[in-house]
Amino acid sequence: MTRVVDIPSHFDDRSFEQFATACGDISGDRLLFDAHATQWASPYGLVGLLAAGQWAAEHGPERPLLTVPSDRDIAHYWSRAGFFQHAQDWFELHGKVPRVANSHASDVLLGITPVRGSDDVHNVVESIQDRSAAILAELGLEATAAMGFAMALSEACQNIVEHAGTSGWVAVQAYNWRRRLGRRVVVIGVADAGIGFRRSLEATQSGRFGDRWNDATALEAALFHGASRFRDPGRGQGLGGIARYVNRWSGKLGVRSGRARIAIVPPWDDDEPLTDGLADFPGSQVLMIVPAQEAQ
Amino acid sequence: MQHIDLKAILQRTVSSTYGDLVTRPTGKAVRGGIEAELADGAGEQVAIIDFGTVRLLDYSCADEIVGKLLLAYGSARYFLLQGVTASHCEAIEPVLERHKLAAVAWDREGRVRMLGHVPEAAAEALSILTASTGDVPHVPEATAHELLTLLREQQLTANGGHSTSATG
Repeated sequence: MTRVVDIPSHFDDRSFEQFATACGDISGDRLLFDAHATQWASPYGLVGLLAAGQWAAEHGPERPLLTVPSDRDIAHYWSRAGFFQHAQDWFELHGKVPRVANSHASDVLLGITPVRGSDDVHNVVESIQDRSAAILAELGLEATAAMGFAMALSEACQNIVEHAGTSGWVAVQAYNWRRRLGRRVVVIGVADAGIGFRRSLEATQSGRFGDRWNDATALEAALFHGASRFRDPGRGQGLGGIARYVNRWSGKLGVRSGRARIAIVPPWDDDEPLTDGLADFPGSQVLMIVPAQEAQ
Repeated sequence: MQHIDLKAILQRTVSSTYGDLVTRPTGKAVRGGIEAELADGAGEQVAIIDFGTVRLLDYSCADEIVGKLLLAYGSARYFLLQGVTASHCEAIEPVLERHKLAAVAWDREGRVRMLGHVPEAAAEALSILTASTGDVPHVPEATAHELLTLLREQQLTANGGHSTSATG
């Protein structure tokens, strides 16, 4: 039996819960991810969709199906961002996939890039520094902030390599958020379909929490207490470093894993700092938003 | 003094095309390269770790290279972190704080600064030692002796004309 999972029309971190709920038990029926009516997708949405596809392909009865957005411009954007190139590994694609040349569109700072190992992290960092300098300067971020951006991206990608137990994806895009913020922003999405924070930290951290141990406490331990699955005291600094970076530049950080989501919420956003009891979704998904700095 | 060029080690031990110090495996490989050079220069007391041609350093690499190096060798050798940028310091500071270590760094503008877990008196002593001649306040001999002893205890200065280095 095939079950349809609608991709939200506007697919980003805000509509992701609608998507996760619709996914339900990914390992049950064969899934048809229906994106034909999708009008817009953020890096977070696109890498999250790939993670769902990987999970369904590896744990479901058959490779899932995916319908390509019917809007030609949207499908072109997904192609330019490199989505279909990776989606074909996990989905049976239905609909016309636009063929595009390698993208150097100015707002796609980093097309969807697989993160499988340390070499990929090096390539991501190299690529983002080459391509983002001009846009970050346009956002009013000084050189130190641009380096901090690359550091944060590096640590977010390394979380996949070190903790997911599988590969994942990263994508970076610049936008003009006229209505939501009145400023330009850079959005980073990182996702994997791995074991998630709770299982990664369980052996070293669950004893401290006893009955309270769950996805939410695992995220709190990782983000606010530098918890790591390694006993090496130097480990577990990456997420804290990302949090310091987004705090300093009035950015946003959201980390979703399993049934919980934790966020560093800037004054311009109204997200919840911690949400538990969400629909279960495999792996971990990280969102970073860095806004243009307001003129002094 | 022994001069250790991090980018040269990075390109020798990991990849000739990399210019950034990112990821733990990279940091571990570079630390191995540093340890080999330290073994070659065993007679030297002070090692200058040169960040001058390194573009990016992330927290994981800072922990593997600076944190673990100082934990292993900080009580036996003196280290100066040379050519650091503000963004390098942002990666190094929390690593040193976490391990309760301190280091002396010489940035690309020629300023000397202390990074990490630095007792207030030690920071004050080093600022007096590194102030330009015209700014040096009068320090009574007994106080100067106390300050220098404190810095030596923190492994932040060495005898014999070597003016600086690192660890806790």
